[in-house]
Amino acid sequence: MDTTLDRRRLFTAAVLGGATIVGATALGSLAPEEALAALAWDVEPGAVDPNFAEGRITSINGTKLFVTGSDGVFHRIQATEGTSIWKLQPTGFDSAQVGDGLYARGVRLADGMLAAESIWINIVNLEVHISAMSRNMLHMEHYGSKIIGHVVPGKTATVYNGTPAISDMSLLKVGSHVKVIGAWRPDTNEIDIATVYAAV
Amino acid sequence: MTIVGEMSWFCCGSAWGPCGTTGHGACGTCNSGSRQHAWPNASQACLDITRPDLCGITGMSRRTCGFQHRTTNLCNGSSVVTSIADCGPRTRSFCGERSCCGANCGSHRIVDLTPSAYSVIASLSTGLRPARVTVP
Repeated sequence: MDTTLDRRRLFTAAVLGGATIVGATALGSLAPEEALAALAWDVEPGAVDPNFAEGRITSINGTKLFVTGSDGVFHRIQATEGTSIWKLQPTGFDSAQVGDGLYARGVRLADGMLAAESIWINIVNLEVHISAMSRNMLHMEHYGSKIIGHVVPGKTATVYNGTPAISDMSLLKVGSHVKVIGAWRPDTNEIDIATVYAAV
Repeated sequence: MTIVGEMSWFCCGSAWGPCGTTGHGACGTCNSGSRQHAWPNASQACLDITRPDLCGITGMSRRTCGFQHRTTNLCNGSSVVTSIADCGPRTRSFCGERSCCGANCGSHRIVDLTPSAYSVIASLSTGLRPARVTVP
């Protein structure tokens, strides 16, 4: 609990200009998995999480993102040097663009701003059937909609039954059911594939 | 009740991108920004779709909308308590799939969390993690 409170103070201070956050802090690494392990803010099960936001970026000002939630709620999200940002892969704030979708987790400040610890841009997690395959593309069906998945050389990986991720997609089969983590190409039915999880 | 397996996340409710076609789930209350989860045995109709028994899973009790579970990420020990808002995951489609963090492993999909809930205990970019589900 003390660690959680310290992190909250740290991010609050960073947003208010009282501290500089770098990739690793006196509290330890801010890599997403480790950082999230320390977060246990109390929210009632089933309730809306005030420390979470989703929606599409409508404007960017400095390191602030202005986001319109899919439910119409408006969010102001502040990134800091310690914010973990993902867009197909771990990346920097400059990769955020107007029109991108996102999920963000952080600390909601008194003025309503979300001080972001993590931002996932355009991330999708889809359970799909593979309907066709080509060298650089997977054609997939997701709840009756067609999705085109682009293989990104050097980035796309496949995990077979929990084994380490590899670039070889040759064990995937047309008709098989897979889970795909990817980055949506805004306003299209296309994604860039980060990871395919398959049971073979 | 304790079940060890794999957890993932899913979107529901108002959403952008490919998630825009999803609804509010089997319970009619599901939203990506709420602390909720999908459960494979939320009803008989749900169980007929998910069929965890085909993966050899026993003891997955019938739990209906609003019932609370605690999901623990076996990679870092952190946990979150959420309530059932949808049916899923479709366990039978992933029989035998396995996720590990060192010696901590989970086989078969047993729970899907909303992005809000999953991101409390793991990065969304991980997609899958071994997990333990208990009644809080």
